[in-house]
Amino acid sequence: MTHSRTDRTAFRLCPLALFITSLAATGAATAELSEPYQKNGRIGYVLTDKAWVIYEDDGLEVQCPQGLNASGVRQQFAELFPMDDGQEWTVLESRLMREGRMWHPETSPEDFPYYEAQGDIAYGLNLDGKVDDNDYISPEGEEGIDNQLQRAIGCTPGWRSDGQFVHFESLFAIGHGYNRWMIELTGVDDLVNDDDVTVTSYRGLDDLFTDATGDGFVPGGTQRVDARWGESFVEEMKGKIVDGVLITEPVEAAKVPWAMRFVGYYNVLDFQLKLKLTPETAEGIFAGYVDVKQWNNRLNRNWGTHHQSYGTVSAASEYRAMRRLADAYPDETGANTAISGAARISLTQVYIVHPDESGE
Amino acid sequence: MVQNNPVGRELSNAKPGRKVRLGSFFHSAHLNKFLTVVLVVTSASVVNAADSPAVETAGDMKYWQSVDSGAKEAYLEEEMPPGIQVVATALDGPVYADADGRTLYKWPVNALRNGSTGDREDGPSNCTDEVLRTEVGFMSPYPAGLILPYADQGVSCAQVWPPALAPEDAEEVGKWTLVERENGAMQWAYDGFPLYTSDLDKKPGDVLGGTKITSGGDGGVVREPVGPPPDIPPGFDVISSTTGRLLVNDNEYSVYTWDGDDLNTSNCVAECLDDWTPVRAPEITAGSGEWTIIKHPSGINQQAFRGKPLYTYNKDTRTRSFAGSDVPGWHNVYTQRAVTPPDEFTVQDAAFGGQVLADSRGKSIYIYSCRDDSIAQLACDHPDASQEYRMAICGDGDPQVCLETFPYVIAEAGATSDSSLWSVMVIDPMTGRRASEDQEGSLRVWAYRERPIYTYSGDKEPGVTEADAFGEFYGRRNGYNAFVLRDIYSNSAFRR
Repeated sequence: MTHSRTDRTAFRLCPLALFITSLAATGAATAELSEPYQKNGRIGYVLTDKAWVIYEDDGLEVQCPQGLNASGVRQQFAELFPMDDGQEWTVLESRLMREGRMWHPETSPEDFPYYEAQGDIAYGLNLDGKVDDNDYISPEGEEGIDNQLQRAIGCTPGWRSDGQFVHFESLFAIGHGYNRWMIELTGVDDLVNDDDVTVTSYRGLDDLFTDATGDGFVPGGTQRVDARWGESFVEEMKGKIVDGVLITEPVEAAKVPWAMRFVGYYNVLDFQLKLKLTPETAEGIFAGYVDVKQWNNRLNRNWGTHHQSYGTVSAASEYRAMRRLADAYPDETGANTAISGAARISLTQVYIVHPDESGE
Repeated sequence: MVQNNPVGRELSNAKPGRKVRLGSFFHSAHLNKFLTVVLVVTSASVVNAADSPAVETAGDMKYWQSVDSGAKEAYLEEEMPPGIQVVATALDGPVYADADGRTLYKWPVNALRNGSTGDREDGPSNCTDEVLRTEVGFMSPYPAGLILPYADQGVSCAQVWPPALAPEDAEEVGKWTLVERENGAMQWAYDGFPLYTSDLDKKPGDVLGGTKITSGGDGGVVREPVGPPPDIPPGFDVISSTTGRLLVNDNEYSVYTWDGDDLNTSNCVAECLDDWTPVRAPEITAGSGEWTIIKHPSGINQQAFRGKPLYTYNKDTRTRSFAGSDVPGWHNVYTQRAVTPPDEFTVQDAAFGGQVLADSRGKSIYIYSCRDDSIAQLACDHPDASQEYRMAICGDGDPQVCLETFPYVIAEAGATSDSSLWSVMVIDPMTGRRASEDQEGSLRVWAYRERPIYTYSGDKEPGVTEADAFGEFYGRRNGYNAFVLRDIYSNSAFRR
């Protein structure tokens, strides 16, 4: 089976339908764990697409009734430093001041408008086990969904499904080997129902296995584990499979490589996976809390002011919103430092080759 | 904590009770001394020198050569005008220099986001005497017209980059041509590009104004030293790296030598050929200089450099690779390596997939790069240049925050370097500029190519590079990049 980029685009454009397709457990046994994709209760998958997921099916009129955020770095600069009245500004008081605030963000209020997403529905998981006022309902009707990230970035064009961050980060998920993230399930007796499986994440070393068009991903490829440099991406989780859906118990943190160029990752606290499994694919989400400072660091290192301006993103404003909405991991002052969220991920079956198996 | 990496060990991390068995992740048969540098154990929350017994000293590193090595890149002699000479340099190999030994640079035109600047091939010089006052807005998204920090100092491009002027009776020869400046003076050009010296270079061999290491376009329109072509056969290339002049094939795949070979004799046969492919030489050819054509036992002609047969590594999947030299006895090939950095520096495996230079505690080293957005794209990464750019990135304009966020690497008393690339500078930390030894509060810090180097407060463990690409346009325009020695996922994209 080939999973094309068209499929992934469709997923982005119509997330609800596919999400339901992926995760809504119907009770039907959709897949047996059989040869050739598994061996000794072991099956691996490699990431082929990823994006922080925003539920968009309720429409902008519900989600962003005030409109999308239009006050990105470029607009803010123009407002602060008008150039059309003959007034001159120094590099220091304008450009460098703005860059300084971007790299050393503050939580103090600012005058620029910033719209938080409204609505009641979000993808994600109930991370804290509670049902609070600020929680969402999942598209399937589950209450207590923790996804304050959607509230923080849901009305910012760059982060929405047709935004440039989603587009380019999906491309780089494929093209940049640094981003080669994979999971391996071990102890699997049955890919449809198994109450005790182990899931271990790794970073891989190899290109993705595509079909002859180069545009679709084919199960049956191999990925060598990046054992030497990828150690910090190794995480072991316990989980179970119910009606073909894998759900893992939260682990303290998992690191997911997520770079445009050289660097970048998300350190997701209380990390959990919820994935619809078939012998060929795994589709669904990971969820957890992201440290807001680490988010800002990754954002700025991968998307500079120029890039942010094309998604009307302002890292400094976004940081304020995320700290305002952060819902876990309070610091010594009691202010929360991490924000709940979920990312949709698509993976294709792959044979994971451990160093002691690779002959190297 | 930093540990040696034993084979088949168990890794523990910060989470109590959590262990992941990684099996034989490291195969001792394929580990050389260098590979077994360090293992970063994620439970370390702070870098502690006392806990770092296994960091390797710079003297053992594979990337560099000793100051006594004397290995220098051979070059093809070209016709040169009187007064022009070739000077050997520590990082960029042979370069052309003027009669005083000052390195000559070109400034090739390059497109930025909102415009282009630099010199066009066979065109006039665009580095003029015009006093620079404002930015031109080529660097998105900031508009043109912002007043430069040095606007009141009467700085022009030609002051910072004095044109290489030719005498009145100069005649064009070979690749050397003449272009007329606005004031009627004649300026040397090489290969169609006007030439300049740098006001930073003080003595022969200095290449402080630029480097041959490839620059990303968003880093600004940079100057590059010019030099004669390396003396290499067809099918090879030499690329500049942070550790010297790396020999690669013409597809930029690395070539290697093997300790198991004898002088001009290949012993790589049978299983050896499973992983290694001799670099073939034409049937009808002759060696010259440092190059010889040898007969591989299989009967083919094989290239040898300095008496060592050359191979490509069959498991290299990316260009500019160092993977082959992870195999014991196998080595990347340079025409010349940089001289070993000071002893207190170390090499660390980095989670981005590669290796970085680090301080004695294992903390990653960062270099700061900066170019303003004037039409001249002047560098602002030197202590003699405007410090406002760096201060904005490292501390939102606050020098104290800069010191806390990106501390200088303090040189030990009496510290010296065998490498001319490394020096100890005295810096006023509040201004970022040079200071006198006796100035109160001044710091003696390590500098690379006369730019102070830094560590990052957010790096809590060896091998972490949380500030790589920290600053404008991936840190290339105005910001910090890790001192990368090797980058497996990015074709060893060496940060300049």
